[in-house]
Amino acid sequence: MAYVRVENAVKYFPREDGSDMLVLDRVSFDTEEFGITCLLGPSGCGKSTLLNAVSGLERLDDGRVEVVSSGRSSRARSPRLGYVFQDPRLLNWKRVEDNLIFALKGMQVPQAEWPERLNKYIELVGLSDFRGQYPLYLSGGMRQRVGLARGLVIEPEVLLMDEPFSKLDQLTARRLRQETLLICERLRQTTLLVTHDVEEAAYMGDRIVILRARPARIVDILENPLKPGQRKVDDPQFITFKKNLLHTVLQLIEKEALA
Amino acid sequence: MAPEDRVIAVVSERGSLSEGDIALPTDAKASAGWEFAWAAGLRIASIAAMLLLWWAMTLFFPPTLIPHPIDTLIEVVAIMSTGDFFSEMGATLRRVGVGFAIAMLVSIPLGIVMGTIKPLEHFFEPPVILGLTMPGLIWAVLAIMFFGLNETSAYAAVSVTICPMLAISLWQGTKSIDKDLIDMSTAFHASPWSKIVDVILPQLISHILAAIRYGLGLAWKVVVVVEMFGFSNGVGYQVVRGFNTFSMKAVLAWAITFLLVMIIIEFGLIGWLENRVTRWRPKIQAWRR
Repeated sequence: MAYVRVENAVKYFPREDGSDMLVLDRVSFDTEEFGITCLLGPSGCGKSTLLNAVSGLERLDDGRVEVVSSGRSSRARSPRLGYVFQDPRLLNWKRVEDNLIFALKGMQVPQAEWPERLNKYIELVGLSDFRGQYPLYLSGGMRQRVGLARGLVIEPEVLLMDEPFSKLDQLTARRLRQETLLICERLRQTTLLVTHDVEEAAYMGDRIVILRARPARIVDILENPLKPGQRKVDDPQFITFKKNLLHTVLQLIEKEALA
Repeated sequence: MAPEDRVIAVVSERGSLSEGDIALPTDAKASAGWEFAWAAGLRIASIAAMLLLWWAMTLFFPPTLIPHPIDTLIEVVAIMSTGDFFSEMGATLRRVGVGFAIAMLVSIPLGIVMGTIKPLEHFFEPPVILGLTMPGLIWAVLAIMFFGLNETSAYAAVSVTICPMLAISLWQGTKSIDKDLIDMSTAFHASPWSKIVDVILPQLISHILAAIRYGLGLAWKVVVVVEMFGFSNGVGYQVVRGFNTFSMKAVLAWAITFLLVMIIIEFGLIGWLENRVTRWRPKIQAWRR
């Protein structure tokens, strides 16, 4: 396993008028190893840009991103990163298992390992009965499960999730959060999850990195005092933690409104 | 409901919808069969109406101008039973097929390139648009003057006529490709080949199918014209022969056999292909009546 180290990440976007807009302002943090790290910030604050920089979809203008595995940095080879998107982004013309195979093929996983991996991860997300189905015949929640399985099936060193529950209805999202938390805990999966939802961050994150917007700058990094199993909706400790987190974020927004 | 409340209007209740709207699960199979039979029935009725109209016209015109449908049908059977049919139709089909294949080989890469690379889009836009406006008849004349009366001119006329149309369709299709899916395939390190085959081409399939439909329609017209100019076989030649002997019956009979073959290709081959490649898409037609 591994963790991600972001050092002094700086990114500019070109504006319409030709000038540059600062999107990431010297962002530095380490993710939890074997756990979930949440990037929490308001919409449009550059969280997704940061995630894209980690995945290599976007280049940084300064600073660097490293994937560090058990003590030594693995910058030399390209690390194995799994991605779960906001929209599931499935290949709708491929059956569920072929969508997973697409990722296995891309990441050059030896074909001999495919059957075992497909079985394991399709079962893990609870889609064993639907592996031969086409995505458009599945519900939104099930499609997102396929997206999750595709991210996991390549057995990534780091799993990147970009607001994966924000397009789902409240009840489906709740259920899927719970299952994702269990799965990541069971696999001891290093995960970086981007969200704008305070409750989601409190529930999912072992470590929570709070960002302010325009440009994105780290305000605070919190460790979740509760183990994943202790985070119950009606648990007084969890409620207190959630409240504190919300308080911190609200204060931040207020300060920004005044500035 | 309190006693003083009253119902203003019943907005919806069981049985208020027409039958096709909500098919209960148990009825689904039977209802699909019924719908199929109904659609087929309408098509047959339409053909019967056309035949009836034809027959009605024979009452007002002499058989040299409008032959009787039955006589024409006998001629069709005669043509098909002599074996002439297969060699003549085969020649025409081969010309369309080869011309079509050449056009596909050129226009699919051209359309994809135009949809992806801006400078090349600007460069190729004028010839494609000009090519689209040029009547197929003129291409046919040019091809025969250039290559002479041989197979090459037929292939050239067909492929040049339909190429711009195919390219435009592929070009527009490529522009509408979902960029998010390309990003996804990049995130999972898909190879360039896999990106084309697994991500890009499937999104173009419906555009390609539509282009094939229109393209075939154009190709038939051009090939018949080329054959009329002086080829010694093919459906176009047979039609000209009928014209020279002023046999309305022969002209119509060849036209009908031609239509039959087109229908088989259109509904049989392309319909089958379409069903096969779009199996992944649920057939929702709720907005249609």
